Amino acid sequence: MHWRPLCLLVLGLFPSFAQTTSPHEQFDEELVVKSFQDGRVASTFTFKTLLTDASPRDPRTLALEDDEPQHYTLFPLTLGQLLRQYAITELHLTLNAGKWKYDSWGYPEAAGVGTGAELYAWLADGAPSSIDERWQGLRNALAGLFCASLGSLDEQRTTSPHLSFPPEGLLPDWDGLQHEIRHASHASEHVCTENLTPFLKLLPCKSLSGLASLLNPHRMFDADWHGIGLHVLWRPEGVEVRLNFQMVSDPLRPSGKKQDWSFRSLYDRSVDRACPVAKTSRTIVTLPDAVYSITPEPSAIESGKALYDLKNKSPNESFDMKLEWGSDFVYPQASLTSPLVPFTVQRKLHGPTQDRGQLALVLKNHEPHAIRVSYLETMPWLLQFYLHTIRIEVDGTRRDDLISNISYVLPVPHSRPATFHCILTLPGHSTVTYTIDVTKAFLMYTEHPPDAQRGWDLPPAVFVLLASSSEEGYTRSMGGVQEGSRVYTPSLLVDLATPDFSMPYNVIIFTCSVVAFIFGSIFNLLTRKFVVVRLDG
Amino acid sequence: MDRLRRIIRPGGDANLVRIRRRKAVVSAISQRIKLIRLLLPVLGCIWLLALPSPRLGRNIYIDENALQPGNVNTYWSWGDVHNSDRYLEDLERLRDSNATNEQRAQYLSTEFRKIGMFSSTQNYHFTGTSQDINGTNTYAVLSSPRAPGVEAIIISASWVSRINDGNGTLNLRGVATVLGLANFLKQYSLWAKDLIFVINDGYLDGMQAWLSAYHGSVQSNLEVERLEISSGVVWTALNIDYPGHSFSHLGVFYEGLNGRLPNQDLMNSFHVICSRMGIPVVLYDHLDPRTYPDRRNELDWLPEWMPSALRDDSEVRAYAYNARNIRRHLAHQASGRGSGVHGLFHQFRIDAFTVFALPATGPHGFHALGRVVESTLRTANNLLERLHASFFFYIMTAPNRFLKIGNFLPSAILISVGLMFGGLKGWVDSGWILEHPDSTVKSESDAPKWTRRSRPVIRTLCIMTATHLLGVAMYLLMSSRWYTESSIGLPFVLAIVSVFAFGVSAIRSKGNREGEAPLSSVLKALNQCFASTIISATTVLNFSLAVALAVSLDLPLSISAASNSLSLRALKFSPYLLLSLGWTLALERLSWNWEFLGVWLFPFLCIVYFPLVLQAGIVCLL
Repeated sequence: MHWRPLCLLVLGLFPSFAQTTSPHEQFDEELVVKSFQDGRVASTFTFKTLLTDASPRDPRTLALEDDEPQHYTLFPLTLGQLLRQYAITELHLTLNAGKWKYDSWGYPEAAGVGTGAELYAWLADGAPSSIDERWQGLRNALAGLFCASLGSLDEQRTTSPHLSFPPEGLLPDWDGLQHEIRHASHASEHVCTENLTPFLKLLPCKSLSGLASLLNPHRMFDADWHGIGLHVLWRPEGVEVRLNFQMVSDPLRPSGKKQDWSFRSLYDRSVDRACPVAKTSRTIVTLPDAVYSITPEPSAIESGKALYDLKNKSPNESFDMKLEWGSDFVYPQASLTSPLVPFTVQRKLHGPTQDRGQLALVLKNHEPHAIRVSYLETMPWLLQFYLHTIRIEVDGTRRDDLISNISYVLPVPHSRPATFHCILTLPGHSTVTYTIDVTKAFLMYTEHPPDAQRGWDLPPAVFVLLASSSEEGYTRSMGGVQEGSRVYTPSLLVDLATPDFSMPYNVIIFTCSVVAFIFGSIFNLLTRKFVVVRLDG
Repeated sequence: MDRLRRIIRPGGDANLVRIRRRKAVVSAISQRIKLIRLLLPVLGCIWLLALPSPRLGRNIYIDENALQPGNVNTYWSWGDVHNSDRYLEDLERLRDSNATNEQRAQYLSTEFRKIGMFSSTQNYHFTGTSQDINGTNTYAVLSSPRAPGVEAIIISASWVSRINDGNGTLNLRGVATVLGLANFLKQYSLWAKDLIFVINDGYLDGMQAWLSAYHGSVQSNLEVERLEISSGVVWTALNIDYPGHSFSHLGVFYEGLNGRLPNQDLMNSFHVICSRMGIPVVLYDHLDPRTYPDRRNELDWLPEWMPSALRDDSEVRAYAYNARNIRRHLAHQASGRGSGVHGLFHQFRIDAFTVFALPATGPHGFHALGRVVESTLRTANNLLERLHASFFFYIMTAPNRFLKIGNFLPSAILISVGLMFGGLKGWVDSGWILEHPDSTVKSESDAPKWTRRSRPVIRTLCIMTATHLLGVAMYLLMSSRWYTESSIGLPFVLAIVSVFAFGVSAIRSKGNREGEAPLSSVLKALNQCFASTIISATTVLNFSLAVALAVSLDLPLSISAASNSLSLRALKFSPYLLLSLGWTLALERLSWNWEFLGVWLFPFLCIVYFPLVLQAGIVCLL
């Protein structure tokens, strides 16, 4: 029982310490909990560190000796070093597992929900090393930092889709230096505890106190959907680092009767101590429409949302909250007819053969009026498009006029992916089918991965809802949808022609025999001398 | 030592010796060609008959280590059995109230949604020459947590059971099992692959429509609704057929369309799981008479008059049991239709088989079936990659024994090689003629002399091409609506074929030149060579069909020969006509399979088999 006075001492010291030694740094944390119509509960943890009055490094100074000291208290040092070394203006990294169901969950709090790893960064040119070299350094450094296979986001996966991934913050003006984007995604990357530990290390309070103490890997990685995100961007106030963790858990999974949840049931933890260095520490719970009871009493209720401030929590008691419904849960019968998003997308790869196929999209516009969406495919060269076979149909009639602004960067086999971007117009209350024929690549045998052969994961396509051209000033209020929100389709799995590597000896014996047979016959024919032989002689 | 070396390698020119040796071998073969020609098919037939022997083949084993069958605890409990019973009550009520397809599908879809799954229905409409088929499928997708949903497993049940080949018995308990499983499997977060539950209307037609829509390859005579919910690449599928009240054994049906087979590892895993749980497994619905001595008369096909010493011999009984299984396999595979709903999956590279709950008064029910299916799904869930390891060529002789490809393939190949030897001999014979020297003129040598003569190859090939074109025409005719509706279809075809055959023979009698080989011998030679090639190529595509072809073609093609009198020729021709068109008795079924399922046996019979036999018939007429 000696630790308690010590702890109190530290707790007492911390606020003053934080305020005195880091006047340029500010740390805020927030947890948003929301129940969906299918009974699942989404928790979004956001940890924001702001380095005020700082700005990204000018890439031209990379040629000079870096003598600027990097003293941070709250801002993660490892990340700061990395950003300085490669002069990164803006950086977004997400590692997700699962499939985000826009139909029943609506848009996520943090937009990057593509399956697997996705990394994109905005960098300016002008450094002694090229953008691509710095991009390579960045992803290798991040791979080390996050224990993820980001090193595999190489030039075979790197594209520059600047239209679908505009900078979230501002790009500094360095005498007109051009900024460029580098984007790569790897759908088969899994996220697990080895990625969460380095994530927690970037937080000032680690997982010892504050909201981050709820991040219990046993529960996080059992959730239906979970993902971590790292976002670095520049605003006039300074450089902002935003770390977030999103998860969608299913309180109905064990019992199947009631959708009640509490911190204990969702995370198997409660908040014992507030993070002393956090300026704000809030929990926001979206309240349901039905009869419910919420404990403890929220500090404020604003437009259907209960707010809790953990900074006001008494230091002795742990904070746990509970939301209970008055009645048993019943699954909505018409889950598909009342979607939360203006349009839904289904993407499939058809064709059972190993050399050809067809990529098919089915887009459904739930709005009464036409909407425009931008459609981006960053396709590895494993799948190659035949653009002349694009076919767009609305309810069975061909409507090729619905596609516009096509831009296409050809893939280069064995080195570069294709980037296909276009704008699709979806007529009101309609189902648009889009098909394009594809050919599947034939790999060199060294390009086959050495592990189990389940096929190749193709990255998700990205859709962005654009401002409607027909109706000026149209904004959507439902579900907090903003124009410009990205929608990720699920990833795809493609089967390429693969030798049965599990039988290497048979394969070797067969091929060697064939080669030997052909060589032997031809060699024999070329070198043989034909003469008449008298048998009786 | 030296002597030994001299025998192996006699002195003199090495090339000379080699050529001499080769000549000796060739002449040894060609002198005994008739014997070899006779021996090869006999050997092949003996091999075929030896296939059921318990001494051939080996016990099954698990090749893919990742499967780990039966290594998990199962949680399917009596509460889940109760759920399935409740679903069954609802389904029986629907059956008794003569609910329409749509009402049924609506009920199923609602139940799936109550569980919390995405579910939808799909209407389909097949247009056929003789009949149209409508129906409504229901399906639901359980998205696996944490996984991107790019891989999937299908659990299906058809509304109509496979009993009597989908002829009316309803598979209510199978459907109830699927619903109960959906309710149960959702409670676990361990699924790495999406689970798709499909309840297809009808027997084969519904699943064909659903699978075509899922894979985006819809045939021209099918109108099908687009699937509202999709999932990833399907690797494995399990079809549940439980028509009775209870069951005693679980039967495995595995033959697919056009002779495709699923990866054997899947069925082996199922066998291992069942034996760990103490549930007996059989092949098809064949109970082993050795385990049921009191039901021997009903189960055993060995005739009563056999000496009891032989009839009760354990090896003979094992042979009889295996033979029954192999015969069933050959029938299912050769027909190309497969042995159930699972067969439709194989065309999309999905390994699938049917679990058939053998109707009996007991002792097993939902509880046993649920546990077995749960464990099998867990096994399929373990897979990191598609099942491969070339475990696709096999014949199951018993639930736990199988024949490897090396054990059965040579039987058909031997017969086809025999046919090829016959053809090659005919080819040589038609090109050479043995001339006996004129005895009146004394020449230097009295030995008979081989002289060459030309072969009418072009004309022969023309006749062969014409027969195949006739086959194409016949295929078009038989798949037309007129043929199925008119009563004179078959006589019309017979007349056309006869006119064609006699027409060919009339033409040839004009065109035969002096000093040329007779057309009939060249035609016979090429016919045999072609048939042999077809049989050999078919062995790896559809072994059973190759066996059927080998057995039915070998003798007729070998004994066809021309004769002098016209009546004798016509008499000889008629059995060939019968043989070539005998299959039209089953035309309705064959063309149904082709139209709705894409089983290529019907066009194959028209375009390949019928012309081959007709060519042999024409040989008799020439």
